[in-house]
Amino acid sequence: MLEATDITVRLGRREILTGVDFRAQPGQITAIVGPNGSGKTTLLRALTGELSHDGRIRLNHHDPASLRPWVLAGLRGVLPQATPMAFPFTAAEVVRLGLMGGIEAAEPDLVPKALARVGLAGFEPRPYQELSGGEQQRVQLARVLAQVWHPTAHGQPRWLFLDEPVSALDIGHQLQVMRIVRDFADAGGGIVAVMHDLNLTAMFADSVALMAGGRLMEQGPPATVLRDDLLSRAYLCPLRVNALPVNGPYLLPQASGPIAAE
Amino acid sequence: MIRPLVALTLAALAALPAQAADRVVSLGGAVTEIVAALGEADRLVARDTTSSWPEAVTALPDVGYVRRLSAEGVLSVAPDLILAEEGAGPPEAVDLLKSAAIPFVVVPDGYDRDAVAAKIEAVAGALDVPEKGAALAAEVGRALDAAAAEAAEGPARRVLFVLSVQGGRLLASGRGTAADGIIRLAGGVNAVDAFEGYKPLTDEAVAQAAPEVILMMAREGAEDLAAEVLALPAVRTTPAAASGALVSMDGLYLLGFGPRTAQAVRDLSDALDRAGS
Amino acid sequence: MVALLHEVSGPAPHWDRTPRAWRLTVLLVLALAVMSAASLAVGAAGTSPWAVLADIMAGREVALADRVVLFEIRLPRLAMGALVGAALAVSGAVMQGLFRNPLADPGLVGVSAGAGLGAISAIVLGGLLPAGIAGALGYHLVPVAAFAGGWATTLVLYGIATRRGQTSVATMLLGGIALGALAGALSGILVYMADDAQLRDLTFWGLGSLAGATWTKLAAAAPLMILALVAAPMLGRGLNGLSLGEAAAAHVGIPVQRLKTVAILTVAGATGAAVAVSGGIGFVGIVVPHLLRLATGPDHRPLLVNAALLGAALLIGADMIARSLIAPAELPIGIVTAILGGPVFLWILLRRRGLLGF
Repeated sequence: MLEATDITVRLGRREILTGVDFRAQPGQITAIVGPNGSGKTTLLRALTGELSHDGRIRLNHHDPASLRPWVLAGLRGVLPQATPMAFPFTAAEVVRLGLMGGIEAAEPDLVPKALARVGLAGFEPRPYQELSGGEQQRVQLARVLAQVWHPTAHGQPRWLFLDEPVSALDIGHQLQVMRIVRDFADAGGGIVAVMHDLNLTAMFADSVALMAGGRLMEQGPPATVLRDDLLSRAYLCPLRVNALPVNGPYLLPQASGPIAAE
Repeated sequence: MIRPLVALTLAALAALPAQAADRVVSLGGAVTEIVAALGEADRLVARDTTSSWPEAVTALPDVGYVRRLSAEGVLSVAPDLILAEEGAGPPEAVDLLKSAAIPFVVVPDGYDRDAVAAKIEAVAGALDVPEKGAALAAEVGRALDAAAAEAAEGPARRVLFVLSVQGGRLLASGRGTAADGIIRLAGGVNAVDAFEGYKPLTDEAVAQAAPEVILMMAREGAEDLAAEVLALPAVRTTPAAASGALVSMDGLYLLGFGPRTAQAVRDLSDALDRAGS
Repeated sequence: MVALLHEVSGPAPHWDRTPRAWRLTVLLVLALAVMSAASLAVGAAGTSPWAVLADIMAGREVALADRVVLFEIRLPRLAMGALVGAALAVSGAVMQGLFRNPLADPGLVGVSAGAGLGAISAIVLGGLLPAGIAGALGYHLVPVAAFAGGWATTLVLYGIATRRGQTSVATMLLGGIALGALAGALSGILVYMADDAQLRDLTFWGLGSLAGATWTKLAAAAPLMILALVAAPMLGRGLNGLSLGEAAAAHVGIPVQRLKTVAILTVAGATGAAVAVSGGIGFVGIVVPHLLRLATGPDHRPLLVNAALLGAALLIGADMIARSLIAPAELPIGIVTAILGGPVFLWILLRRRGLLGF
């Protein structure tokens, strides 16, 4: 259980997040959506303890700020939008960085397993800096997965915090990654993901938090949040849900067949 | 005046035991010159970089710059006496040499007639040839007195000694330097007496000093350098530039304060007289 | 070759470069031993350590000159060279990990500029000190002042860059530039005040040398360097994590602020002590970690150990060159490391360009 109450974040004198109440349940995918600059990533960074904030956060009944870094690392993994590496590490060495503490450290074969999980089997010796943006993003996901490989530990759910996990990916890999995330949740773990793509959100999320102007507009199941009026107000343009375009082709991930979802 | 005495005492102590040293390392240009002038050059086994005269000593192994000696380098020539000018170092190396029980004699420095005599006597004492030393000291003293007296008869030129010209900035000699001493002996007046040691001069200070002669150390390409120095904006306004009066002499010969200094005084005095007219 | 090494090591996965790096450690220990033996045997004086050893074993008396050369000159110098080389190389590797920049060097935390200012102050102003203080320190005044200068600068910089318990590495970098300029200006004033002989001393100090190595100096400087060498490998895991960036490092469980504090203090202590006793010795801190990363990858756990060994071996080797090239005189070792290190550094840069395409 993740409970955040009255979260406020200031940057200098400016308030960029105001009184946000946010909930996420283990076993579910909780998506944070909203227009650019609405405070999605700021909320995620406050939830992971990266930003100092007012308000109260409880992750599995613990205050993350009071936990030792390595204890917290055993409880949740965090995937940033992009991770430039300082030195010429290989893909496998990057994934291994996720194994530094916690119960997974004793499972050395997790590195190839995690890479295979994100569709990068055989990429172990490849230099990270020579990979494409999408491949780098998946290597980082493998690292985060390796960090909390088992979705539950000691009877407690573990968590993945993902900042736009599919933004650098093609549609096939988007679906693949969302499927991995879905499996993690189905096995008892908790997912909090900042999402850009409303279709994928509608397709995979159990709960959607809609942000606008640094405030939480609404949180609930996709059907209750992804509504014409709320979305139009949040994104400041007229939007219609479940309406077909008048002409031209369109492609929805919801309509993908079983092969792509593999 | 205490330091020369101490050095003399050290020298005497060092010279006392056993027979006279015959594997001598000489550190410092003037010290080496004195050893040679005493007729004892054949006892030298090594020298430092600044020891460049007489020509014959340059064939000896060079143990490096006198302030940056390598203890092992000096030990490697198996010396039984080390003669060093003041300021030889670093102190760690000197300590090591002393711990190897090798007599280390510091020859006092100074920039006048008495200092030259004291140097000669210190070196001669350390080499255990005090009679030769007394004779040479007396001879050099007389020659210096004569040269200085002669030089005093000519006109007293204002002389600016320039150690280096880096990026058009003059590094000039103030009081208490070898350059100041030799200018004085040669009957000149140091144009800069506002500070001690070598310091950069501003352009205006150069004009203010109004030197009649510029004095420099001779080195490769000295003639080009002379033209360059006289053409510097700071120097152009001085009497020296007007008459093209720039004298350059070998550094060790000019500033060494050793046995050749009387001759150097004469040469400099002549050059000053010529340059100013 | 790789396959062969692989067989020796057992079941490490093919992608894992870390076991290879640890095998390199064994080679480097051997190289250091060989270098040390050679260093004891090489020198302007003809002293042979083996002959001296044989004399001691046989109970014969050792000539005083041989004893001084071996036990008062070469041995402390060997120990000092090994420690300084190791300290500089490890400090470089830690700084590069901390600043996430393969070109960082210990100078970035202000150690070098501060130590330089301290040394220059001591050389130029040492004569003005009350006789009591000057007498007590003797010729250790310059190293003590250099160490104090380096340490003080780092602490000031650390203070400037730390707000509410968080040290900003970027602020340290920029503050280091500002403090470096300030120290440079103050040094300039002192250079102006210096006389000819002092200027010479300054120049030689800047070029670095191990010639002043004595047991006394070693006893004063060694503890800090040894402490840093022991502490540094413990930073390996943290620096690995830090290569993900500070936030991500915290997320994988690294206590980032503690890591930064320990890393900065370690580097300031080790580099300060090294610079104090040996003057300015360049390139070791950049070239050694680089070569090792090229050879066995960037894993800091073996890297920090190997950097210490390679740094020590390289500096001992450079010192041998410095001592023998123009014997009986000797070159400042900073010249040797720059002549060897400069081209290697350029080669690394060109290689990097080719590799990464920028």
